[in-house]
Amino acid sequence: MTDPTTTTTASATAEASIPRRAALLTLIAIARNAFREAVRDRVLYNLVLFVLLLIGGAIFLGELSAGQEAKIIIDLGLSAMLLFGVFIAIFVGVGLVYKEIERRTLYAILSKPVGRGQFLLGKYLGLCATLLVNVVVMGVGVSLALAYLDRGWNPLITKIWPAILLIYFELAIITSVALLFSSFSSPALSALLTFFVFVIGHFSGDLKALANSSSSGAARLLFRALYYLFPNFSNYSAITTASHGLVPDGSSIGLAVVYAIVYSSLVLAAATLIFSGRNFK
Amino acid sequence: MKSAALILTIVVGLAVVVLLSRALDARRTDTQARFAEEPLYVTPVAAKRLTLAFNGLAADWYWMRSLQYVGGKIVTYEDTHDGRIDFGWLGNLDLRLLPSLLRTSTTLDPQFMAPYEYGAMILPELNSDHAINLLNAGIAANPSAWRLYQHLGYVYWKRNDYQKASEVYTAGAKLPGAPPWMMAIGARMKAEGGARDAAREMYRHLYDSSNDDAVKHMVGNQLMRLDSLDERDAIRRVLKDFEVKSGRCVSSWREVFEGLRAAHLKIDQANGAPLDPSETPYELIKNGCDVDLDINTKVPIK
Repeated sequence: MTDPTTTTTASATAEASIPRRAALLTLIAIARNAFREAVRDRVLYNLVLFVLLLIGGAIFLGELSAGQEAKIIIDLGLSAMLLFGVFIAIFVGVGLVYKEIERRTLYAILSKPVGRGQFLLGKYLGLCATLLVNVVVMGVGVSLALAYLDRGWNPLITKIWPAILLIYFELAIITSVALLFSSFSSPALSALLTFFVFVIGHFSGDLKALANSSSSGAARLLFRALYYLFPNFSNYSAITTASHGLVPDGSSIGLAVVYAIVYSSLVLAAATLIFSGRNFK
Repeated sequence: MKSAALILTIVVGLAVVVLLSRALDARRTDTQARFAEEPLYVTPVAAKRLTLAFNGLAADWYWMRSLQYVGGKIVTYEDTHDGRIDFGWLGNLDLRLLPSLLRTSTTLDPQFMAPYEYGAMILPELNSDHAINLLNAGIAANPSAWRLYQHLGYVYWKRNDYQKASEVYTAGAKLPGAPPWMMAIGARMKAEGGARDAAREMYRHLYDSSNDDAVKHMVGNQLMRLDSLDERDAIRRVLKDFEVKSGRCVSSWREVFEGLRAAHLKIDQANGAPLDPSETPYELIKNGCDVDLDINTKVPIK
């Protein structure tokens, strides 16, 4: 004998899970399209340039660096990974929303049961997937270059991956910032503002130092607020230490990953708030 | 037809660009040379701030620039002075930018050991204070790196401060991972700092512990010099014995062939002359009363 109360609760849960599943499928569809669009825009062509840079570095820098080839390959490879990643995050990120408005495809999308937040999150995840492919392929490229140097296994190969993981999460934060600016501004201005955030994020240690050294209470409060407001990218700078075979400890990496997820979530929430208030008529 | 015209435009355009570049090059004054010795206007600390997350790459660039700077000076010197330059004569090169180039590289990446090692070898030939400052900064950033103590001890030894050299070697020997010979060298520095054997032992350890080919080459040359000093002492003894026995100096190496062989010296079979560590025959000087290195030898004079 089935308990009628249990049956009612189960059917209510099933009914609730249908729109939740549909929302998830919509999110995946938007993300997949954003990824495809990036691939179609030949964003991944930068990998060819990256590979050429690494091959050139591996072959020629050995002659110039007096036995420091491995360090230079890692510095060059991971720096290029960050730089290319930042350019992709900024220039693709700021165009994600703008292009849809410009082509008027946004109206078709939003006329369907797709929330504005869902749309932004899908775009964000699509670009994160593009960056993930980019970063993983580049990481494999650096590992192969290291293996080529030693004509076999190089212990530094395993040491660079935590630094690569941190670079990826730094890029994820930058992507969310690019989306935030693009939700209310033109692509050129959004790109500029996002780049400023990238630069300031690497100076955040100075903001804290300024807060500590300021004699005025208001200035101290302002600098401290800015320190917490801007993302602290020094937590993600492990390139130089990776080139010496040093790996950040697990708890630092874990906290940096959680910080990136929380920070990106709140930036996306702010972007959704602004984007929801926009009138597209 | 349209494509052919475009391709033709590109080819002709490239040719014009090449011609214009050559014309401009011919008119350009060599500003590079004029500003080559200009002090670095970006301080190491400012450089670290400006490079954001790319400080490792910037450190590599300053490191390679240091190598190119020294290499370029050596090439210019050798071209203008018709000969090669030895490690001991690097002071003649006016390497005034080298301390700041190395300092910038190590400030950008304090764990980068190659510039410290290179600085420890080269800077004492210019001004040992620069080397000491560089290595002390390295020790402050890497307090557990015993190799930096080894290099600092070497710099103090180079300026004949055997007491300080001994203290530095002994301090480095106490660090985890430091090899036992660090303590032995510390004691030896105190007891016989200026002795040739102490120098040989120190250079041998520097040679064994270095991964840098340039440093290995420089230290290898110094080991050759020490071996050659021992060989010349042995040859002088043989020459003195001959002079005492015959009342004159030798007229050719053949006359002391047996004595040289008994002293376990390597001998050139063609003319009986003893060979220095670079396989170049020694030269008889002062009418056969003394010996010196040949002008073509690869053994450094100092």
